[in-house]
Amino acid sequence: MSARSSRTGRSLLLVAPLLLFLIGFFVWPLFSMMSQAISDPAVLRLLPKTAEVIGDWDRKSPPSIAMQTALTDDLKAVGDDQALGDMVRRLNSARSGFRTLMSKTTSALQDTANPPADLVSIDKRWEKPEFWQAIADALSPLTDRNLLAAVDLGRNASGQIAHLPADQSVNRVILARTFWIAALVTFTCTCIGFPYAIIAASLSGWKRDLMLGAVLLPLWTSLLVRTAAWFILLQEQGLINDLLRGLGLIDAPLALIFNRTGVIIAMTHVLLPFMVLPIYSVLITIPENLMPAAASLGAPPWRAFLRVLLPLSLRGVASGGLLVFISAIGYYITPALIGGPGDQMISSIIAFYATGSANWGMAGALGMVLLVATLVLYSVYARFSVDEPGRR
Amino acid sequence: MPMKLAKFTFASLAILFLVAPLIAILPLAFTSSVILTYPIPSWSLRWFEELFTADAWRRAIINSLIVGSGTTLLATVLGTAASLGLRNRLLLFRGSVRTLFLLPMVVPAVVLGVGMQVLLARFGLTNSYAGVIIAHTVVAVPFVVVSVTGALAGIDERVELAAQSLGASPATVFCRVTLPLAMPGVLSGAVLAFATSLDEVVLTLFVAGPNQRTLARQMFSSIRENISPAIAAAAFLFIAATILVGLAVMVFRSMLAKRR
Amino acid sequence: MAEFIRFDRITKFYGPLCVVENLDLGIGKGEFVSLLGPSGSGKTTLLMMLAGFEQPTSGAILLDGTAINGVPTHKRDMGVVFQSYALFPHMSVGENIAFPLQMRGISKAEIAERVKRALDMVQLSAFADRRPSQLSGGQQQRVALARALVFEPRVVLMDEPLGALDKQLREQMQLDIRDLHRRLGLTIVFVTHDQSEALTMSDRVAVFNKGKIEQIGTPRQVYDEPATRFVAEFIGETNLVEGVVETVQGQEATVRLASGAHIVSALSGAVASGQPVYLSIRPERVDLSETRGDARNVLEMEVTDSVYQGDHLRVQLETAAHPLIAKLGRRSREFPPGTKVFAAFSAGDCRVIAP
Repeated sequence: MSARSSRTGRSLLLVAPLLLFLIGFFVWPLFSMMSQAISDPAVLRLLPKTAEVIGDWDRKSPPSIAMQTALTDDLKAVGDDQALGDMVRRLNSARSGFRTLMSKTTSALQDTANPPADLVSIDKRWEKPEFWQAIADALSPLTDRNLLAAVDLGRNASGQIAHLPADQSVNRVILARTFWIAALVTFTCTCIGFPYAIIAASLSGWKRDLMLGAVLLPLWTSLLVRTAAWFILLQEQGLINDLLRGLGLIDAPLALIFNRTGVIIAMTHVLLPFMVLPIYSVLITIPENLMPAAASLGAPPWRAFLRVLLPLSLRGVASGGLLVFISAIGYYITPALIGGPGDQMISSIIAFYATGSANWGMAGALGMVLLVATLVLYSVYARFSVDEPGRR
Repeated sequence: MPMKLAKFTFASLAILFLVAPLIAILPLAFTSSVILTYPIPSWSLRWFEELFTADAWRRAIINSLIVGSGTTLLATVLGTAASLGLRNRLLLFRGSVRTLFLLPMVVPAVVLGVGMQVLLARFGLTNSYAGVIIAHTVVAVPFVVVSVTGALAGIDERVELAAQSLGASPATVFCRVTLPLAMPGVLSGAVLAFATSLDEVVLTLFVAGPNQRTLARQMFSSIRENISPAIAAAAFLFIAATILVGLAVMVFRSMLAKRR
Repeated sequence: MAEFIRFDRITKFYGPLCVVENLDLGIGKGEFVSLLGPSGSGKTTLLMMLAGFEQPTSGAILLDGTAINGVPTHKRDMGVVFQSYALFPHMSVGENIAFPLQMRGISKAEIAERVKRALDMVQLSAFADRRPSQLSGGQQQRVALARALVFEPRVVLMDEPLGALDKQLREQMQLDIRDLHRRLGLTIVFVTHDQSEALTMSDRVAVFNKGKIEQIGTPRQVYDEPATRFVAEFIGETNLVEGVVETVQGQEATVRLASGAHIVSALSGAVASGQPVYLSIRPERVDLSETRGDARNVLEMEVTDSVYQGDHLRVQLETAAHPLIAKLGRRSREFPPGTKVFAAFSAGDCRVIAP
């Protein structure tokens, strides 16, 4: 018994370093990214004193003197005009009228010659609990604003969830585009990969090795090298255009790069191995004599394919398809280098928010959408690759 | 017969699609022109020279080697230890832990990159080699785990029991039996970890500063900003290295197969 | 018996390798013919050509008088039972059996009826909804049989269907298949390398060697009257003794052995005086006694070993020129090593085989 427990202890010691490393540098980053998405301490940072006293308020009665003094002090202490503007914008979206109220209040507070007695004396509206409710809500460090904005939703003046105006509604377009491109790539990979795997599995010897090697070589080659290679092939003076012109098929060069065509071609090339290999590994487990058996029982080739080979290889097609789709929705490099502005996928937008505009909230929210989509699909994939339908 | 012809045509075209781009880029590494197009006016090694002398490229190569070695060491040690620990079937949550170890392969790099940048900033590790190595290790470690776990699963446990029955202590069994048998898996895991680090761009974009620009990162911005045949020269090196790595992995695998 | 299948000068090459060479064979309607031979002798290739999985390099295959060379497998209407059964793993037992009927566009009601009958026939009615992987090897074999028979094919082809079963089950299945053949009047071509299986089940046995048929005949003919040395050795156990033909008289010949002894033997084919030949003598046809007796062929020998094997006694004999093995019934007396004995056999129990 003690030998067993010491063995378990040893195993734990061996697993622990990697476990801790991944919790620290994999799980934690993902959580901090998500917490960026739902946390918004901007208002809290500006109004620390108000935050202390407003907790005692019952949200119904008129504001106490302590609350008014705290807010006055906080507002006087604000040095960052941009942060103030952000706060006002946020409060105004929760309660319209805040913009005018705030500008009136701040200018009154700056009037050192004639200091106001309290906030109510500046504007009667400070008596109303609604405005203080908006402040209390904005002080909460949690927000669903980014998550809603990630799918082009927002809260209107009355706090209801509603569509953002069309000029701000870009994320849904990009999400739809991401899934559409991923679906197209999955489709082309299936169209090429399934017959490819069938042919490879039906061969033997060096022919089979050649076909598998042709799949493995790109898989082992650097993604950047492959992308650069497609750049060379697809560009206006690239080999494909040269070849087509040389054959007299076209007069003017085709636009193959910086558009959707290029992205689909390059991504299909990159992801094709992920389609071929799962299908192939399923196909080689199918006994060789099933198709002859179907023929001997009277099935013409296409019916034998539909009734025997297709159902038996479907598991491979499904897991290959999921693998390609999962990889495709997270793709960044290929669309960034081969695609045009209209082909940027969700990863590019996340990178833009994170590095370009330092909007960590939006980057986190979109990242969360992508992460959830990926993990859900992956769990389906894991199911597929464990289950053996023939067995039950 | 027409079926056979159709199959042959399809297979040939598909192989062409898969392999031709990789072959097409190679001759351009030796062009004397400054633009990356065919036809090649004359042959020259100037772009390889550029690669090894131009400051940006040379530093990128050195950085890649530094980061790659660090990643390989860290990922191989952590991944091998964890795989050994995971052999114990009595371990609680063994399946979930294993899934966690493989998950970095699945999570989109950009998502991980955003999180990593936020976190490393908190620790003051952005713009440092340590930060880049840590980030690369996260994505490289699954390859080590898969490779070593596979090698360990192939070890007949009776061999270890036999060693015990012949008088070897657990430590001796590990050093003299388990580890040598798992070594090909460890080595190919290490090779894959290095390759992963070498090719990693997205995380590097998020966590590396200008002083940690890796070769892949340099290629990325070069393709994006001012594409030149230096890319083809770098690609040539990459493909040559790939073939070497592929051969190495194949040698390790055949070592593994011979052991069986 | 009307000829139903005819292989007409069939030759098959795999690359430079000739696996079937200029082969002629006719099979009658309702006949059970076994193709017997070692692996690589071309018997399976012949079956594959009959089923349409392979095309002959030259020659014609005729079914009921019509050449079927160009007819694809699915239109040949032949039920094939494969070596490893080839059951569809993603279909239930019932669906497997229904498959050939669906391919023929038969109505659902009739399919259900015929599947049920087929399952009854192989005593698997309770297993219709199981997957093949849930059945034992013997049960899978019976499903494969039912599937190959349910659509009433013109010919049933079996490629070593019993090879994966253990001995007891195999012998039971041999009798079951033989019974089905008689009851349904099926034409069956059965490939096997197991000579006792071929002898048990077949109307006729074709013995294959190196792409050719060495001999074709009833089980009794191929066993008792082997035409060639290969047949004599491949089917059952035999004593092969070298000798030279002295005289030929009608269906008999006198052969002089190296020891100088003369043996009178039945003939399998034409031989001439002075020709060196083999004599094939089945061990169980040899009688031993301590007195000379009055059999036509008597050899004086010495017992070197004697092994009790349950159902028979196996005695090894030796003279200066040639060894001989005798299998004696279990009621026989013991012959301890060293005993001088007379080995006797009739002319009909012995065959002259040209080398």
